[in-house]
Amino acid sequence: MISLKKVWTVAERDIRMFLRYKFLLIMRAIWFVSQIALFGLVVNRMFRPDVQSAVGGNYFNYYAAGIIITMLYSTTVFIGYDIYEEADHGVIEYLLSVPVSRKELVLGRSIGGGLRSFLYVGPMMLFVLYLIGVSNVLQLFAALLSLFLFTFGVAGFSITLAVSIKSSDRFDILMGVIDALIVRLSTTLYPIAYMPSPYQGIASINPLTFAADLFRWGAGLESAALVPPMLAVLSIVVFFSMFTFFGIFLHERKLEGGGWQ
Amino acid sequence: MPPIIRMVNLTKKFGEFTAVDHLNLEVEEGEILGLLGPNGAGKTTTLLMLTTVIKPTEGTAFVGPYDVGQEPDKARTLIGMAFQEPKLLWVDSPWDILNWHAKVCGLSAEERKKKVRWVLEQVELWNDRLKSVHAFSGGMRKRVEIAKILIQRPKIAIVDEPTAQIDIVGKHRIWNMLRELRDEGSTILLATNELYEADVLSDRVAIMHKGKLLVCDEPKKLKDSIPGGDVVEIALEKDITTAALAKLKEIPRVVNVLTIKQNQLKIYLNQAEEVLPKITEFFMKERLQVKSIRMSEPSLDDVFAHYTGLTIEEAQRE
Ligand SMILES: Nc1ncnc2c1ncn2[C@@H]1O[C@H](COP(=O)(O)OP(=O)(O)O)[C@@H](O)[C@H]1O
Ligand SMILES: [Mg+2]
Repeated sequence: MISLKKVWTVAERDIRMFLRYKFLLIMRAIWFVSQIALFGLVVNRMFRPDVQSAVGGNYFNYYAAGIIITMLYSTTVFIGYDIYEEADHGVIEYLLSVPVSRKELVLGRSIGGGLRSFLYVGPMMLFVLYLIGVSNVLQLFAALLSLFLFTFGVAGFSITLAVSIKSSDRFDILMGVIDALIVRLSTTLYPIAYMPSPYQGIASINPLTFAADLFRWGAGLESAALVPPMLAVLSIVVFFSMFTFFGIFLHERKLEGGGWQ
Repeated sequence: MPPIIRMVNLTKKFGEFTAVDHLNLEVEEGEILGLLGPNGAGKTTTLLMLTTVIKPTEGTAFVGPYDVGQEPDKARTLIGMAFQEPKLLWVDSPWDILNWHAKVCGLSAEERKKKVRWVLEQVELWNDRLKSVHAFSGGMRKRVEIAKILIQRPKIAIVDEPTAQIDIVGKHRIWNMLRELRDEGSTILLATNELYEADVLSDRVAIMHKGKLLVCDEPKKLKDSIPGGDVVEIALEKDITTAALAKLKEIPRVVNVLTIKQNQLKIYLNQAEEVLPKITEFFMKERLQVKSIRMSEPSLDDVFAHYTGLTIEEAQRE
């Protein structure tokens, strides 16, 4: 039996811990603004009408929605770094000793890790939605719900990698590489139609593609979203379940205190 | 009543090295059991297996009715642990740490409001409650760690060297708080390498060395049980020779002689009043001038020495 109260208690702690990234949070916000106000704006002017129509009429909108998804992704993976910080101070052992099951712990951390990034990116998301101009509120709501699940999945992914890699330097480097690949091999920044076919193959199974297309669909940029919304939602559910399962499996079977590092 | 903790061949290996070696030990409900041993004896490793933080390599332990390998989640509901090294994120404050701990242990918002304040006052950290533990001394961090179990009041409290780095007044306060916890019905398993702490606080003491249990009983019984109920400590002007040492051991009623240093001996004997004159006579004959003689009751150190041939301090240095 999973106690939702316990899950929430764990999540709440991770949300509170997020505030200690003050500097990083400010820098990420500046990064976001520069991506939208500089890069997005300038690149938009470079594209001819045929390109603009391939991205649903306006590359700037397409890009702004994609940037939100990259922000969501890169903020959510912070939870993996937290795990190293905690391992340094032995807090992992403490968390393994409290009356919370490993399932509740992993679920709580995934939810906390996802929710806190959702709260952080929220205002930027609203800003982008305002720029795009939302047409269908119900559609948007459905998309946001799925994006919630997407962030929980990303958090589970980061937790899984963190507890299986066990060296913070390697984790850091790996996360940098994954970040570069997972963003570029998805539809977050450019449409699939312009990719060489091997890239298309990867992009069409990349969770970031599903998340980006779903967000665009929710924001009313339907023609820019290639993946059908139901398929995108389903894929996100699979993604979330898979990494939650891996995370729980590692916590129950493999993770120990003491010689963890 | 069945024991509340039962370790059955509990073993932990790190690679080839055996940190805990087929430990069989039972903890009775409502007692303070002191796990005494030098650094590296395997105390912390044992406690971490009981709290399910690490997994046994062999054997198992039962916490209440729950096997730590089979039902770790249930075992943890009975246990609270104060770690040897305080497990605190530096950005956290005592208030946040304890409030969250109380919450995760199931205390309601109302209870927490009262109890977090109460416990912070108990460990004298109320004024520092909102500061980050980053700036805290070792002793202050340790008090935050102890406060976790004081607020939780678990059925089984596991405390690992609770008063290390804490001044003597603070030690007495913590001992009293642990006694109160026991008197309320909690069982306490205490790991320590301090003889005095083990002696005054424990209802029973289990002595560990190199991952193995040597003996477990009430402190008084342990001290009474070692042959040579009287202890005489003798300091000499110069070092004793091996030959003289052998002769000394031959004297009737001398049970054992421990060389703390080559000119400092600890003699275990029976009926000291009669034997002591013979011993002084012996040293005169050997032309070994005696600097001082001190008689004492056996301590837990002597019990440890009886089993290992070393004082705890010596074992610690090994
Ligand atoms: N994670 C670990 N990896 C390897 N060796 C360990 C680990 N934890 C403890 N040890 C070793 O096991 C022995 C017992 O350690 P410990 O249980 O901490 O002893 P104590 O608490 O009695 O001082 C020590 O020699 C220690 O170095
Ligand atoms: Mg220890």
